[in-house]
Amino acid sequence: MRFFVIAATLMFFLIAPARANAQAGRNPPPGGPPPRTSDGKVDLSGVWDPGTSFGNIGQVPLQPWAEALRQERRANLSKDDPEGHCLPAGVPRISPFPYKVVQTPTLIVYLDEGNVHSYRQFFMDGRGHPKDSDQLWMGHSIARWDGDTLVVDTVGFNEKTWLNGGGIPHTDRLHVIERFTRSDYGHLEIEITIDDPGAFTKPHTFKRVHTLMQGAELLEYVCNEFNIDKDRLVGDK
Amino acid sequence: MKLRFWAVSLLAACFLLTTFSLSAHHSFAAEYDSTKAISVQGTVRKLSWVNPHAYIYVDVKEADGKIVTWAFETLSPNALARQGWNRDSLKYGDPVSVDGYRARDPRPLPDGSLHANARVILRPDGRKVFSGPADDGGPSK
Repeated sequence: MRFFVIAATLMFFLIAPARANAQAGRNPPPGGPPPRTSDGKVDLSGVWDPGTSFGNIGQVPLQPWAEALRQERRANLSKDDPEGHCLPAGVPRISPFPYKVVQTPTLIVYLDEGNVHSYRQFFMDGRGHPKDSDQLWMGHSIARWDGDTLVVDTVGFNEKTWLNGGGIPHTDRLHVIERFTRSDYGHLEIEITIDDPGAFTKPHTFKRVHTLMQGAELLEYVCNEFNIDKDRLVGDK
Repeated sequence: MKLRFWAVSLLAACFLLTTFSLSAHHSFAAEYDSTKAISVQGTVRKLSWVNPHAYIYVDVKEADGKIVTWAFETLSPNALARQGWNRDSLKYGDPVSVDGYRARDPRPLPDGSLHANARVILRPDGRKVFSGPADDGGPSK
């Protein structure tokens, strides 16, 4: 027994400091100013870890019908969450998995490891949104620089995605503005404003801070391989 | 007994500190019943390295000598890989103890195994194997 206690104590002291720095496989990000591309723009490229901020959304000011639907989904234990069915998360919802940003002067690509492998394209060639956007899972995004902040404007959504696991709904009038600022080498701050005249009473702004996973790569995640869960989400009976 | 309490508390703290919670694929509460905790000891039948959750299958000998196979949901392979695990981290016959929760749907999986969610998996010497999903609204151990 004494050996067991000593072993457990040792384990605790071995693990605790490591945890302070990093979750498994994740080293503390380097400090210093953000890197820049050859054209002088801040370079947002990298693999980014949402950490525990992936679920942050704050109190979305919902219209009564949307609040009622949210409560119905909650009462059903979120069993119909599209994520549980291996469908895309939509925007601005993200998973706890990392994502990768690939930056060029006229296009920035945002690659999601999960909830399903999905991608977003931030067009920076001066185009606008299409007049009649198809109802898209991930929307249509155009972007521009505001100083060192990348401003991404996204519309053209379907009404199938939830804004979080708690069932916050939206309509196809959802409009998302994300302001990406690489505040230092290792951190990406994202200020997100969502508006939906069909479901919200006013626009809502919240913030997430993500951490650089230096040297890491995206890993494979094929959600539909063995998703037995979707037939076993029974809700509250 | 005080020693045991201390050791168990420390192990629980280790678990909390090392939990790398990366699974929000589905709501815990919709699939598993947090009032139906189970704790089994047995041997590994297989580690099924599949998405969206890897499963550990454990053969457990019942009081009457009959062997029952439990299928415990764990994290996703990408999350496990970032913890340093791979498809060979557990092998057939490895002894383990598992704490978890039973599925709300009582049907066994298609292969006949009983369905549950693992929160803590330990080897006989107390070393943690890996933790079950968290950040899914389910209880921590």
